[in-house]
Amino acid sequence: MVKAVPPWLRIASGLFLALTALFLLAPLVVVIGVSFSESQFIAFPPNGLSLRWYEQVLTSNVYLSAGWVSLQIAILVTVLATLIGGAAAIAIHRRQLPGTDVLATALLSPLVLPTIIYAIGMLMFWSAVIGPIHPIALAIAHTVIALPYVVRTTLAVLAESNPFLEEAARTMGANRLQRLLYVVLPQCVPGLGAGAFFAFNISFDEAVLSLFLRGPTLNTLPVQIYGQLEFSPDPSVAAVSTIMIVLTIVLIVVIDRMLGITKFAST
Amino acid sequence: MNDRTENLLLALPGILLLALAFLFPIGQMLILSVSGPDGFTLAPFARFLSDPYYMGVLWRTVRLSLIITIICAVIGFPLAYIMTKVGPRLRLWLVIMIILPLMTSVVIRTFGWMVMLSRSGIIPQILRDFDLVGRNFALMQTETAIVIGMVQVLLPFMTLSILGVLTRVDGRLEEAARTMGCSFLQTVRTVVLPLSLPGLVAGSLLCFTLSASSFVTPNLLGGSRIQVLAASIYRSVTSAPDWPFASAQAVILFVGILLVLIPYMKLTGGKNG
Repeated sequence: MVKAVPPWLRIASGLFLALTALFLLAPLVVVIGVSFSESQFIAFPPNGLSLRWYEQVLTSNVYLSAGWVSLQIAILVTVLATLIGGAAAIAIHRRQLPGTDVLATALLSPLVLPTIIYAIGMLMFWSAVIGPIHPIALAIAHTVIALPYVVRTTLAVLAESNPFLEEAARTMGANRLQRLLYVVLPQCVPGLGAGAFFAFNISFDEAVLSLFLRGPTLNTLPVQIYGQLEFSPDPSVAAVSTIMIVLTIVLIVVIDRMLGITKFAST
Repeated sequence: MNDRTENLLLALPGILLLALAFLFPIGQMLILSVSGPDGFTLAPFARFLSDPYYMGVLWRTVRLSLIITIICAVIGFPLAYIMTKVGPRLRLWLVIMIILPLMTSVVIRTFGWMVMLSRSGIIPQILRDFDLVGRNFALMQTETAIVIGMVQVLLPFMTLSILGVLTRVDGRLEEAARTMGCSFLQTVRTVVLPLSLPGLVAGSLLCFTLSASSFVTPNLLGGSRIQVLAASIYRSVTSAPDWPFASAQAVILFVGILLVLIPYMKLTGGKNG
């Protein structure tokens, strides 16, 4: 802080930061702590230390199949959202289509509409028009809500790119496809990458759409955890949650390497 | 192929996905909320608005969302402001401290609060140890629990919204205010706060919308006794599939959010010119 800041304010700021950090991180720390518990019961601080709940999770059919479903859907969503969102962002950035602004607003609108409203709409639409809920329905719904993130990160990167590179490639004789693949696309890579990781994270952690669009053969990890919390929580839920938290940390590190997390946070 | 065709081809998958899997389902839901067995009807809306139970649910939703938004703003503003003042290293850690919970599933974070707030949990325990509350004190299944959990879930959104605006504010404005004789608090009040208003408004809108429409955290921390609108929608869909009523509640939620947001945006938008 600047010099003219009174000392009480520095102390107060430090205290405030410490308390906020405690408040924000406490639920995660507690969940991680519970997962190492030895006893049957959920307790924090944990009683004793053991890895038995991890063993139980990694040998449990329920968790493994839910995890497998979550992973498959998240990968499909990542691919779809990155391809569709990235392409749309390039088109928006060039501003040659009539109604570009409308298109941009429309593509970002799933961010603003409450997920629960979209979840009901999608559930009714799918059941009425297509039939029983299928994992594809969930993947499509997740793609819709992940799309704005990819569009935003890609647009942010494109906004800082050099507009003359494509022009230069054109004068050097590159055709449309070559310009797109060798000039525009490489410039989008950091944005596409960050968007892809966000899409994966959104799909993998999403609970509301997944709760509405679940079916007898369609159970994702967050839905499984939600169900257990409602009826019979035990430390195995904490072990699954901890695995998901670790996955999130890995994603954050990768995003930081690719784009810089500080920069991303302020865009 | 010309430029326009190429760009149309690029945008087309996005347009199609949005039209078929977003606009169309929502349009259908809107229609369903006003269609009965004999055509157009407002019966589901009448049922909601004439039932004191559901009006209570609506009022609780609005009240809790306002409280949550205000608390998020009160914590989020100083947090964002301090983040613009600290060195790059501490700032990176603070960003991580905000992003990590933000990117962790809401279900998992709520689980953490369930553990801490439960009867034998660490928070009631501490309060009892310090004799601040009676023996029978409970936090789970109360509105307080919902507020605590939701503030933690939404604080990152508020902080990042304000931070996005504050990082673009010219630091020399503050120095100018200080040289002109303002105290630190006066500078914050007359320079920093007005300049960060767009971020504060955006963050508040986001917090209000998200808290009015969330049901995982309120349902798990508040229990079935303390229902909010989104939990009531979920129940209408799952326990007794009543789609017109669920749609009507979703429309009420959406209209309610718009009713709060539009005047709010106009009010603060006008102030900023």
